[in-house]
Amino acid sequence: MVNLVALDSQTHRNLRVAPRPTRECAEFNVVSVIPREFPRLLAHYPIFFTKSADSGRFEPAALLGFERKENLFFVNGRWDVAYVPLQIQRQPFSLIPRRNAPAGNQAALDVAIDLDSSNIQTQEGERLFLDDGGPSKFLQDITSILSALVSGSREAYAFTGRLAELDLIEPVRIDVEFVDRSEAKLEGLYWIAAAALKALPAAQLAELRDRGFLEWLYFQMASVSHVSGVVARKNQLLSGVTAVRGPEVRNAGPA
Amino acid sequence: MPDRPEQQPVRRIVVVGGGTAGWITAGVLASRYPRRGEDGVTITLIESRQQPPIGVGEGTWPTIRATLKQIGVTETDFLRECDASFKQGSQFVNWADASDSDTYWHPFTLPADYADRNLAPYWLEGPRNPGFAPSLCFQTELCGRGLAPKQITTPEFAGLANYAYHLDAGKFGPFLQKHCVGKLGVTHVYDEIVQVQSDDRGHISHLVTKSGNLLAADLFIDCSGFSALLIGKHLGVPFLSRKDVLFIDKAWAVQIPYREDAGPIASATISTAQSSGWVWDIGLTTRRGVGYVFSSNYVSDDAALEELKAYLAVRGDLSPGLSFRNIPINSGYRQELWVGNCVAVGLSAGFLEPLEASAIVMIELSAKSIANLLPGCGGGMQHAARIFNDTFRYRWERIVDFLKLHYVLSRRTDSGFWIDNRSRESIPDSLREGLEFWRHHCPWHEDFSHREEVFSAASYQYVLYGMGFRTETGPWLLSDSDRNRAREAMSETARHAKALGATLPGNRDLLTRIHRYGLQKI
Repeated sequence: MVNLVALDSQTHRNLRVAPRPTRECAEFNVVSVIPREFPRLLAHYPIFFTKSADSGRFEPAALLGFERKENLFFVNGRWDVAYVPLQIQRQPFSLIPRRNAPAGNQAALDVAIDLDSSNIQTQEGERLFLDDGGPSKFLQDITSILSALVSGSREAYAFTGRLAELDLIEPVRIDVEFVDRSEAKLEGLYWIAAAALKALPAAQLAELRDRGFLEWLYFQMASVSHVSGVVARKNQLLSGVTAVRGPEVRNAGPA
Repeated sequence: MPDRPEQQPVRRIVVVGGGTAGWITAGVLASRYPRRGEDGVTITLIESRQQPPIGVGEGTWPTIRATLKQIGVTETDFLRECDASFKQGSQFVNWADASDSDTYWHPFTLPADYADRNLAPYWLEGPRNPGFAPSLCFQTELCGRGLAPKQITTPEFAGLANYAYHLDAGKFGPFLQKHCVGKLGVTHVYDEIVQVQSDDRGHISHLVTKSGNLLAADLFIDCSGFSALLIGKHLGVPFLSRKDVLFIDKAWAVQIPYREDAGPIASATISTAQSSGWVWDIGLTTRRGVGYVFSSNYVSDDAALEELKAYLAVRGDLSPGLSFRNIPINSGYRQELWVGNCVAVGLSAGFLEPLEASAIVMIELSAKSIANLLPGCGGGMQHAARIFNDTFRYRWERIVDFLKLHYVLSRRTDSGFWIDNRSRESIPDSLREGLEFWRHHCPWHEDFSHREEVFSAASYQYVLYGMGFRTETGPWLLSDSDRNRAREAMSETARHAKALGATLPGNRDLLTRIHRYGLQKI
């Protein structure tokens, strides 16, 4: 359950929050990411596109596991690579529409905290507010992550929206066999249509470059090689050995 | 240019009339034959500003998805600009005996196992509860709950259940026009035709317009609506009335606003039988279209209007500002649809009461056939015409049969309309033979001879068994393996209906999301 409450310097003066990913992170196998983190994500994660359940629009997402609720990057209670996606880092905070926002200012947002999160403590962890009621450095960082996610998600939709218009996104299927002969088939993932990209007219290629989309698109393509890394994590978990056969990642063909 | 008319290539096409028929036909031909200019095909659509499109036929068949895709529009643009909503079939209320529980469905999704085996006999020998459609088609559950046939993540034109649309015909024509002219290179002319000129073979050579232009072409497509400028007025092809079979000859139509902005939208056409006809109820995104089609032999205009008002009043939809339009309906079709180098599509070809939304599907089928049969040169006209006429006469007859089926099976005795509809002389021989046959044989693929039937055996099954018809299949024709399969199929249907019902959004909810975000191509 999620119990979101807008932060208040009085009510939450003594609240402390553990500054690291907690067990809630183990609950999902894809996490939505924003283009600005692509360079750092590229060190560890395969990036694909998934469709938002709310709008059907494509959004970039890092693949963390092969089954629902399987996060192979969260091992023994900790995140085991150096870069943690912003969507995880922000936990247990989010932005909610400000209550009683003055008319014409529907966009006003408040930082809220999930009071049911296991990150919340009163003894250890980071304080949110200083003694004078001002935000702590920790809370300031969180706030800037949250606003980066808001603008990043706008950028992401502009990026994927244009890619979709240019028919540069196509479905992909991932079939994996693990060391114990169990199998996984991942569907609902999309990637850059390499053939369509090759055939793209120069003017549109230039437009992608000018809007900064071209490098994002190549980051996505390069990141796919990390699928074997995720498979290796799963195999390690299953038996402590690495894969006998690499994963098969290919075009899903027409949807 | 070759001097013999038989060798003249068929490259110039003129479509007369800019309603739904004209623009669908122009769009299908133009997308199919995209080469324009000197060595290509020219397609010109001429319409008179004085004749506003009539705007009938707000219901469609699932074929419309392939047609829109062929023409090259996106589903998102279509849904947004034509106020369209998803239609998953029809619900018939009070058709069988007008008892409290008298309702059945004709969904677009085929019955379970329809490609391989006929499970109808096994439903019939069981408790028949729930009805035929709910037992063997998961879609009735979705229709009943007003759910959409797909999710926001489903690609455009794809569905988790088969579907068509309800659309605002007044907006559909202009929507297609914009695409046909802007993207497909169709030439659009506003002018009035004052004279039609034929050559010595009787083929139309050109049209003379009010502004003094001559419009010459190799093929003329008459989409001029009821006025039938070419096929009727000029060529004099007789209109074959089918009033002897289908008694409906008038309609009262009205538009009903939603009571709340985001009120639910039914995802099926609801057809409710009345004393002397039936009421259609169609939900668009912006309003509902409701109307009573009736037979003036059995009820007066005034009494019919009162019945329609009573229908609205019961639902809380009767308000003082409503404007009711009286529309004549002349059921029938042309004896020939393609004569010389002129072919009729849409209302100029024929019209039948809108009971199973056959108007737009017939336009689509005609446009597709013309595109497929398009003769290479003038000499091929006669052959193309013969094939087209055979096919479409057959189709009109089959539609008449299928519409009549709904009336013949009724057990209502509350008015002469229903009683007379069962009189032997009003039932076409082909339908009477079929009904005799189906007494001991559940409708199946081979019962219908054509490759592309407007109404397949599945439609017959839904209507026959929905209306309470009983087929007695000899036990020697039944098998245990099919019986077991039928039992499995029925429980799979129930499971599937429940699972899908839990994940699909409401019709209104999905349409709102699509208006906001659009659908993805993949």
